[in-house]
Amino acid sequence: MSTTPPDDTVPDGDDLVAAEYVLGVLPIDERRDVARRIETDKDFARLVARWQDHFDPLNDQFEPVSAPYHIKDQVDHRLFGTEAPPLQMPLWNSVIFWRGLAFAALALALIGFGRDIIQRPTPPIQFVASMAADGSPVRTMAIFDNQTRKLKVTVVAGDMPQDHSLELWLIAGNESPLSLGIMKSPQVTEFTLPQPVAAKLQNGTTLALTVEPVGGSPSGAPTGAIVAAGTVRGI
Amino acid sequence: MTPEGISELISRVSLRDRTAFDALYASTSAKLFGVCWRILGNRTEAEDALQDIYVKIWNKADRFAVADTSPISWLVAIARNHCIDVLRARKPGPANLDEAVDVIEPSPDPEQSAVAMGEARRINDCLGQLEPARADAVRGAYLNGDSYEALASRHRVPLNTMRTWLRRSLMKLKECLEG
Repeated sequence: MSTTPPDDTVPDGDDLVAAEYVLGVLPIDERRDVARRIETDKDFARLVARWQDHFDPLNDQFEPVSAPYHIKDQVDHRLFGTEAPPLQMPLWNSVIFWRGLAFAALALALIGFGRDIIQRPTPPIQFVASMAADGSPVRTMAIFDNQTRKLKVTVVAGDMPQDHSLELWLIAGNESPLSLGIMKSPQVTEFTLPQPVAAKLQNGTTLALTVEPVGGSPSGAPTGAIVAAGTVRGI
Repeated sequence: MTPEGISELISRVSLRDRTAFDALYASTSAKLFGVCWRILGNRTEAEDALQDIYVKIWNKADRFAVADTSPISWLVAIARNHCIDVLRARKPGPANLDEAVDVIEPSPDPEQSAVAMGEARRINDCLGQLEPARADAVRGAYLNGDSYEALASRHRVPLNTMRTWLRRSLMKLKECLEG
């Protein structure tokens, strides 16, 4: 196999077609044929995988470029039919609105607490938590709707770190922290909680934000400093 | 994030875990956007491609388990293949290579990069054994998505000659890499 053919012939064979596919030099029609063959011919697919392995180290030369987050919203819209956010949503995005809402919600929580003493308590539909920590400039506000199982979190003060992610955790009683996901935007990040997780979000549950490597804690448990934490109250 | 962390996210995505999908996007989109930008050469097409790529990742995540490759290689292969398809399908026209790019400093995990450096040295050593023009053609194809036509016109040789050149170079590379 190591014999080099004479100069006037084009070497051929499946292995070279596989290499050309991985390199990407083929014209569109041939590429489509090869892509179909990869799906149906396992031996050929193995040849392609082997060439891909050989060239993988060159991937280091693709420099990362930060991608605008709205692309993820469009992906979600295409996959899940979630609403792509309109370009401008002044009220929802306004920090003043959220600060106002935070205070209003806390006030409601206090009133609700007093009312529960004299009335038979009904299970709350909405929960709020104001999250902060000593020495941290970050203040956040969370609102959870038990019916839609949507938890909305917004940063009302402080900045999101550029080179780290803020990860949100739910701590119910003595259980270990449960990751709810990472904050995607300082305005509003919405987390849809699965039913078993939503059931843990009750009066007294703690929500906390920690600084984690980009993309979140690799281990599934918090690894970084707590920048904000707070207790959930039903309203 | 470690390769194990990314593998776990892809596995969770295959189970339709949207939180994992969000985290996967957050930790890998910069790399894949870098691939799109380099190959497609302009922001608009790169953004469209990135969308299509993450739709594919969501739909194909269950295939990762049987792919027997590192998670980032698997993701980059999806991105490269998609971008090259886009490039091949589009009408020839000048790419805008001068647009400003917000490049992030890569910060690979030290252990991972030691292994990667060994492998990179191997492919680079083997490329170094080719004539420089041919090694450039191989690199240009892989990293920039150059087609046979583009390579032939750049190297001022007929298309068939280019194909012969490149295939011979690939055979030599294989001998070196697997020898």
